Amino acid sequence: MDSDDDMHDANDLDSLDDDYYSGDNGMGSDDGDGFEFDNSDDSDDSTSHHHRQQPSYTVLNEDDIRQRQEEVITRISTVLSIPRVSASILLRHYNWDVTKVHDAWFADEERVRKATGLLESSVVSNQNMKEFNCGICFEAYPRDRMYAAACGHYFCSACWTGYVSTSINDGPGCLMLRCPDPSCGAAVGQDLINLLVSEEDKQKYSRYILRSYVEDNKKTKWCPAPGCDFAVDFVAGSSSFDVSCNCSFSFCWNCTEEAHRPVDCVTVAKWILKNCAESENMNWILANSKPCPKCKRPIEKNQGCMHITCTPPCKFEFCWLCLGAWSDHGERTGGFYACNRYETAKQEGLYDEAEKRREMAKNSLERYTHYYERWATNQSSRLKAVADLQQMQSVHIEKLSDKQCQPETQLKFITEAWLQIIECRRVLKWTYAYGYYLPENEHAKRQFFEYLQGEAESGLERLHQCAEKELQTYLNAEGPSEGFNDFKTKLAGLTSVTRNYFENLVRALENGLSDVDSQGACSKTTSSKNLGGVTKRGGRGKGTTSRTTSTGPSRPQEDSPSWHCEHCTFANARANVTCQMCNRSPSAR
Amino acid sequence: MANSNLPRRIIKETQRLLSEPAPGISASPSEENMRYFNVMILGPTQSPYEGGVFKLELFLPEEYPMAAPKVRFLTKIYHPNIDKLGRICLDILKDKWSPALQIRTVLLSIQALLSAPNPDDPLSENIAKHWKANEAEAVETAKEWTNLYASGA
Repeated sequence: MDSDDDMHDANDLDSLDDDYYSGDNGMGSDDGDGFEFDNSDDSDDSTSHHHRQQPSYTVLNEDDIRQRQEEVITRISTVLSIPRVSASILLRHYNWDVTKVHDAWFADEERVRKATGLLESSVVSNQNMKEFNCGICFEAYPRDRMYAAACGHYFCSACWTGYVSTSINDGPGCLMLRCPDPSCGAAVGQDLINLLVSEEDKQKYSRYILRSYVEDNKKTKWCPAPGCDFAVDFVAGSSSFDVSCNCSFSFCWNCTEEAHRPVDCVTVAKWILKNCAESENMNWILANSKPCPKCKRPIEKNQGCMHITCTPPCKFEFCWLCLGAWSDHGERTGGFYACNRYETAKQEGLYDEAEKRREMAKNSLERYTHYYERWATNQSSRLKAVADLQQMQSVHIEKLSDKQCQPETQLKFITEAWLQIIECRRVLKWTYAYGYYLPENEHAKRQFFEYLQGEAESGLERLHQCAEKELQTYLNAEGPSEGFNDFKTKLAGLTSVTRNYFENLVRALENGLSDVDSQGACSKTTSSKNLGGVTKRGGRGKGTTSRTTSTGPSRPQEDSPSWHCEHCTFANARANVTCQMCNRSPSAR
Repeated sequence: MANSNLPRRIIKETQRLLSEPAPGISASPSEENMRYFNVMILGPTQSPYEGGVFKLELFLPEEYPMAAPKVRFLTKIYHPNIDKLGRICLDILKDKWSPALQIRTVLLSIQALLSAPNPDDPLSENIAKHWKANEAEAVETAKEWTNLYASGA
């Protein structure tokens, strides 16, 4: 599933300056969006943020995560009067949910202690012996060369080291390590572990604890961008799932795929699975593995019984046939070996889904290819635009500033244009997934959709053309060019118009093109006008406070320095008879 | 095979297995490879395997005792937790392994598994099905197989 992630390899965190985030944040994102800035150097942006709603998420770096983790450990340790190591084991057991720890502990401390292996006192009465036999290597050692967890089962340090480091190298299950004695469940905490293992293993262990805080905690997730170490803390109940990480990657908190408005998560998952389903890889995974019903990691069953236990930390026990919890199995499902639920469901055809999907994919391969190619092309255009933007920011802006004798602050409109292009490519890309799943029989909707998509495409092309080709002239110029200010007006105008168009497109698609439902196929023209008209109501962020702020189409007026096209809202110079953006003339009344 | 670097634990375990064998169990290391054991388990009394002598092979991997030994039945056996290749479905051979367990405890657990088949966690689906549907008949088949394949001939 990493088909579209490569771009981030190019995105060195430091190379993208703050303007990237602040600029990006103003566009295309939902009202519920927010962002916590800890940088103070984007003062000119402050006005554009203050009216936004409360941030619905916080981006955390590793230090923030550690700090938060330390805080909850301290809280639990203080409230329950237990050592920090024990508090950490408890929290890990209850997925870092402080309330759950409190509830469970105060309801039945003994039960919690038993479940987590936090013994209060040693279970072996051997405190007076001077020498012990290690139960692993069978050698006798003096007491001071042996270690034990709270239970008092002593093993020699070499065997302990082997035991702990094997467990650490087996994965995050080491966070739930217990005493090696098979009859004992005493927890092995970080304090003991740190006495025993190599520096490398200590770091691995501490890494697993940090990861556990993010991965087991319901409120946090890692940013899915490759190589990105930020995590996102999300406030439940926010209206929008769109999250923009400090690494510049925007993703959907709900499904952790790349931000995909206007398409919903289910469609995106279908589309992505579909994209992979064509590849041999996915066919193999579909045929040979099933996702764990709890943690969704694919599991290959290469041997053994139908009773599957997922690898730690999930450890979910389920039935391979029906994917139901193993605890639900027994006589009433027809015995453990013949899962009736599976047999019944199979007869009802419930399990043919995967089969059917592959069959249909074959039949409609051609149709699919059409959408996929366009989806992928926009994806690569977007990646190219991201690279171009970086090039622009690192080299061209400075050059242009020299040539045209403009301060770099006056050239922000170029960065904004490129950010808009990147955003539009993203939206346009997803409209192809949208189109693929738009029912064939809804002709009016399809027609309208294709019209909107076509308009979006040509609008974006105009913007892209202007930001790429026309800019070249001024970059290659010997000295300050006369037309530069006009160019600035044009590019800024195009940026703003395209932004409006795409914002409205996103909204229209998210509403399921409901215009068509109410008005039938003939609504094409009115709707496209609406697209222009609604624009300003949702306006926010600094981009939309600028140029084309009229709420409706306006005719060229003698006293006005410019006129707004009624079709696309572009602000034209008074001298222009037809719109410079869409080439249409204002209608005569 | 290189037996020179054999850990003391394996040597001690081997010595104890030979000097104080568990009842109904014998395990002796191969001459070429001290990590490879030829194992015999007598069918427990009052089980369908009574009177049978079951051959197994046991191998101690490089990581032993941090990793579980690998054990497999060589004698054909009709048992819901043992498949036709002789592989055994037993938790301590997988995720419940602990380095404080030993060859002896593993073999005793296998012996106990013969006394108490567990069709609720089957490895061989057909046998488990048979066991659940008609235990008496399945036990008969297990006895027949014991006579056929494990009569000690």
